[in-house]
Amino acid sequence: MTWEHVLELIKSILTTQTGIPSLAVNQVLMMLIGLFFLYLAIAKEYEPLLLVPIGFGIFIVNFPLTPLMGFSEHGAPELIRFFYKYGIEWEIIPCVIFLGLGAMTDFGPLIANPKTLIIGAGAQLGVFITYVGTLFAGFTLKEAASVGIIGGADGPTTIYLTAKIAPHLLGANALAAYSYMAMVPLIQPPIMRLFTTPEQRKIRMRQLRPVSQREKLLFPLIGVTLIVLLIPAVAPLMGMFMFGNLMRECGVVKRLSDTAQNALMNIVTIFLGLSVGATMQADVFLSWKPLMIFCFGLVDFAVCTAGGILTVHIMNMFLKEKMNPLIGSAGVSAVPMSARVSHSEGLKADPDNWLIMHAMGPNLAGVIGSAAAAGMFIAMFQ
Amino acid sequence: MNAKCKVPMQSWIMAIFFALVLLPQTLWAAFGEDLEKPKPEFTREQDKITAKFIPRAKSTSVTIAFEVLGGKLKDVTPVDFATANRPGIDSKDFRSELYMLEITDVKPGAEVSVSMSSSFFSSSTEIWGFNEKLKDSWMKGDTENLPLADRVRQLVFQVKDGGAFDGDGAADGKIVLVCGPKDSFWGYAIGTLFIRFFGIFIVLGVLMAGMIFSGKFFQSLEARQLKTVAKPEPVMPAAAKPVEPEKEDEISPEIAAAISAALHAHFTAAQSSEPLDLSQSLLTGWTQHGRQQIMTDRFKTFNR
Repeated sequence: MTWEHVLELIKSILTTQTGIPSLAVNQVLMMLIGLFFLYLAIAKEYEPLLLVPIGFGIFIVNFPLTPLMGFSEHGAPELIRFFYKYGIEWEIIPCVIFLGLGAMTDFGPLIANPKTLIIGAGAQLGVFITYVGTLFAGFTLKEAASVGIIGGADGPTTIYLTAKIAPHLLGANALAAYSYMAMVPLIQPPIMRLFTTPEQRKIRMRQLRPVSQREKLLFPLIGVTLIVLLIPAVAPLMGMFMFGNLMRECGVVKRLSDTAQNALMNIVTIFLGLSVGATMQADVFLSWKPLMIFCFGLVDFAVCTAGGILTVHIMNMFLKEKMNPLIGSAGVSAVPMSARVSHSEGLKADPDNWLIMHAMGPNLAGVIGSAAAAGMFIAMFQ
Repeated sequence: MNAKCKVPMQSWIMAIFFALVLLPQTLWAAFGEDLEKPKPEFTREQDKITAKFIPRAKSTSVTIAFEVLGGKLKDVTPVDFATANRPGIDSKDFRSELYMLEITDVKPGAEVSVSMSSSFFSSSTEIWGFNEKLKDSWMKGDTENLPLADRVRQLVFQVKDGGAFDGDGAADGKIVLVCGPKDSFWGYAIGTLFIRFFGIFIVLGVLMAGMIFSGKFFQSLEARQLKTVAKPEPVMPAAAKPVEPEKEDEISPEIAAAISAALHAHFTAAQSSEPLDLSQSLLTGWTQHGRQQIMTDRFKTFNR
């Protein structure tokens, strides 16, 4: 064996069996983006449960020659492609997450004050405004709908709708949704102050009535019946959501409820995050569209926040007991972050005004509202 | 509205809007391949040719059945819209793409009746034809839009051999027709937008009505049950020895404060029909701490 032969062998190994010569600038850029989201998640604690797996997914999938998101020679999906195919493409994971969310949700504040459901509807304004905006920008109808739903501030709903109608935008949409959800405390307060007067921010609301266990138990059944009758397309999301809630409230399947809230939720969150992150490969992601999606997502969030507040203003024209318009911003369904923001803004105006439970009503209504909006879009394209 | 409030977020939003408006349209076109381009598959059944495809802005497939009266429909093929793209014509209006129909066995110079049937058509769908040999290449066909069974609509229009719609331009017993069903894209997009936005209000409004109704029902039911269960307090016999309460583990002052505040808040709320008015004089560190603790504990439920 000569030196030349050895060098040739080393060269061959380097070029065909390592990723170093294949590493491109755009891949490095994507890795940096992945690291940036990891930084946000770990150092700033912005939605860490989702942004850690998403960030790592972006980071790992952009290494060259990695057998992660492709198919083998025999057509079998590679590791993360496998999670993606059966979890997201088959629309399983978002629905399972909704099951967990249902099991974690106490609908008490919404049941005690059902009027707040209207706020949840009004807060979907941004979804539809953004839909028109993105159409003007040259997006297709399906893409526009998938971008619009970002403003609903519901990660699983965004992923479910995008995977169904515009899967090529999944990474950008999911990332925008979760990033802005994490930034709710930064985005919402200026809009809240812009659309309310100091006097309006001081409005006190009557304490919510106690809600009996029987009402809580029947809510998922009544809710799913009415919603699924009106929008059958939303049955997978709403059905799982209400089933999770029924398990929680019925009290006889504590083990199942506990599993849905914790173990199952955690498992699917890992696969969801990794799969979504792994869709962001450099050749797909680095274009104008994701950048525009981030811009539109921000506008979407802002308009949804304003839409919720304006809905409260309109409702107050007809109500004897006025509602504090700050709870309108909680109509976006970033639970419970946006309710917290309403509460903290209320405390700034009046240190003894406790809005937290009042804001939970529109916050939960926002979950239902954004799922309804997603159902409307799905039905539109059927 | 609070006009005094100076908000940096406003500037950001405005900047983004302007950026989106000012960026040239060519950038939007640089988005890559046309993912929604319909890819029709054709099947022939005697004189009828059916195209099956997924149209733009749909997730499920539809069919269009082509038929001709007064001639023989030889073939139907899809036409790439790029070849017929002209100023003032928006490809988005042609959600089912364009088709080239080859019609033979026509009496030279005679008219044939071309029909397209589909459940995808609406009452406002029109047929537009394209002839690249003409200066005004795009023409609206004089279309009859007829409703059939099962929500199918039939578009029927006349084409003359050697007429404006005939691509070969000669009255030679053969017609080459390039045409497609046209719907207003913006009409559909904006119309459906309003319907769906208000649809959400209707859905949540119905849910609200259901909840108000069931809430009132359960409240009255529970009130009735409480009435029937309530009994007069038993009178303690004078000689009875007072029962010593069982000694329990001591609780911390913080928990005691929280329990007291919770009980106070609960009973005050239950008695009052007006909003609670906690005047400043009642606001001691003790009550604040208690309320904070109660709220934090309740809120744990919602933490995801």
